[in-house]
Parts: sequence; structure tokens; C-alpha cells
Amino acid sequence: MRANEFRNILMADAMMAYPHLRHPFEERPIHAQGSVTVLCAGRQVTLSDTGTGDGLLINPDDLSSINGFTLKPQGACFEDLCVPVTESLFVEQGERRWFDLTAFADLIGQPCVADTSARVWSFAEVPSRRDSMMNNAMAPAFKVTDRQGQVIELADLKGKKALIVTWSSW
Amino acid sequence: MSVWQRIYEEINDPDFVILSAAQDTGGEAVAGPIFDAANATYIQVVDTDHVISSAFNFINVPSAAWIDEEGRIVRIDEGTYAQLHEIGNDEQSITFGTDVYSPALKDWVANGADSVHVQSAETVSSNIRQFTREHLQANAAFRLANLFRSHGHSEKAERYWEMARELHPESINYFRQNLTLSEEGSAGESFMKLRGEYISQGKDYYRPLDIDL
Repeated sequence: MRANEFRNILMADAMMAYPHLRHPFEERPIHAQGSVTVLCAGRQVTLSDTGTGDGLLINPDDLSSINGFTLKPQGACFEDLCVPVTESLFVEQGERRWFDLTAFADLIGQPCVADTSARVWSFAEVPSRRDSMMNNAMAPAFKVTDRQGQVIELADLKGKKALIVTWSSW
Repeated sequence: MSVWQRIYEEINDPDFVILSAAQDTGGEAVAGPIFDAANATYIQVVDTDHVISSAFNFINVPSAAWIDEEGRIVRIDEGTYAQLHEIGNDEQSITFGTDVYSPALKDWVANGADSVHVQSAETVSSNIRQFTREHLQANAAFRLANLFRSHGHSEKAERYWEMARELHPESINYFRQNLTLSEEGSAGESFMKLRGEYISQGKDYYRPLDIDL
């Protein structure tokens, strides 16, 4: 079959074109004025209490709700990972003491994309979270929500054989 | 999806699950009816942010991983078609997919680690696609774009979709996902150009299946 014929078959069906779904939503605020939205580890968290500066300065108490890490005497810990935390990660502003989340992300090699004008920060996965897959072929941790609204994690599949398969309408 | 449902019913093993993730930014409006038409009873996920593809370093659909009872990957990252498909008509048609994957899957569910289709740890490791900092950042940009889209901020959505594409140019997922929401669709001129480049460069659009039945 010639390339043109192949193309005609595909295009004749106008395959998988949903231009009306490109931007179907009415514009609305992502958060209240002055707030910050953080995307991280599959979560979307809105913070109304942040410091001022180039990086994202958060209330240390909010760290856990953002990325699951908890500040402990030995450092910032998540499951079996503990990262030593130095004073350089804290910023004093007046009487407030903030935790510099962007500096922490740099420390653990976690990339981030920020739209500072919209006050939205999107943090990528922590690279070390993939060590077990890259080094030992163990399935990576993930968390998704099914169509019934149930949260499904890798741990939920333990004890069963699982086919994880991706597809798309396209 | 109906083929996967038939296979799922044929296997009929309470200790086997299928998690089917639609990598569709179009969301439930696009993917939901396809699941419904299949009367799917396996785990159905409309994965607008491509979480599964990102976690497993997949760059194309359909892709899959087999995970055993202990969480070990025993097969990964192939063009995962449930059967051979034919589209077109008597005069013009093309075929794609394969009929060898689902028998291999059934054999694994029945025989576990003794299945000949379970790959060695070395093979699995070599089949796990490497990732870079830019690939991780691409998914962060993609998620950001989808947040803007869902709040009607179209210009910013476009900007960060494009950023994701630039950060991870090998990702066919990001490329075709973007086309899906355009007039030309996912199989239009842009896709044909990309496909032509693959062919001319001798690259595989999917990693070839290594299955002998």
C-alpha cells in the first residue's frame, strides 16, 4: 500500500479529532487571590499562607500535605527516604519562618515548572522514587482514580497479577 | 476495549486484574463512552495527566507492563494490542496489532513465573526506558497545562503543552495527544509526517514484540 492510500484511510475517518474539547471550559480562577496552587505527587493543594520571594516559601506544617514528606529531627522523611534538612532551607521573614520548597526540590533533584504570574507550581516526580524500577525492575508507585472515584495505588494490586495497559481514544 | 473485556472474562481469574488507563486529556467525555461500549468490568481509569505513562516511562499507546504478585515487572513496554485490527474497506485497508499478545498474557496468568513469556530480570531492565530530568519536567509541564485548560486559561495551557513537547520530543503521547484536540486529529498530516520520519530513519514506532507461541 502506498503512503497516500494509508493516509487517505486514516484521514477519511477524520480519526480522533476533538477540537471542540481543546478548550471547552469557561475561564475561572484557579484559586482565591493571593493564594498559591501546588501540583505535586498527584495532589493539588491550595495554600493561602506563603512567604514572599523568588522561590515557593511554605509554612513547614504544609509540607506533608503537598508532597508527603514530614519534617523530623533526622530530616524530611517520606516512607524509607530521609533527606537531611539544613537551616539554609528555612527563611525568616519578620516573625515567620518559612520552608523553601523550591530549594528542597533542588536538593532532591525534583524538577519543577512554575507559572509565577498565576502563582501555580507543578513539581515533577522525585527521581529517587523510580530507583526500585530502574535498579530492580520493581513496579513504580503510582496513584490514580478510577471512573467510580476509587483511588487505586500500586499497593492495592499486591498479591495479584496485573496487566497495566495504556490506551487512548486517538 | 471490548477485546480486552473478552480476554478478561476468558481468563476469569480473581487473582488477575487489568488496569486500563486512557491517556486522554479529553477526559471522560472522550474515553468514558469507549469503556461503556465495552461493558468493561476491569479497573478503568481516565488518565488525563498521563500518570501511568509517566510512571512507567511509556512514550506511546498502547503500552503495558505485567506485574507479578510481588510487584515485580516481568514484561514491559511493547505495542500492546489485544488482537489484530483491520480498518478501511475491501479496496483499501490496513491492519495493525497482533494476535499473539493475548495468548501470551493468558499463559502468564495461568503459569506465573513458569510461563515462557515471563522475561528475565535482565531483559526487563533493558526494556525499561531510561528517563531524564527533562522527561520528568515534561510531565510537570503537562500537568500544569491541564490545570490551566480545566480552568479555561487556554493560552497558558497551550504554552505548557508546548513546553512538555519540547522537553520530551520522543514522546508520541504528548505529540498525538495535542493533535487529538486539533482540527487535523491524531492521524492527520502532522502524524503522517512523524510516521514517515520513523520509517525513513528505520526506527520502530513500537518496540517489536518478542513472543513465540
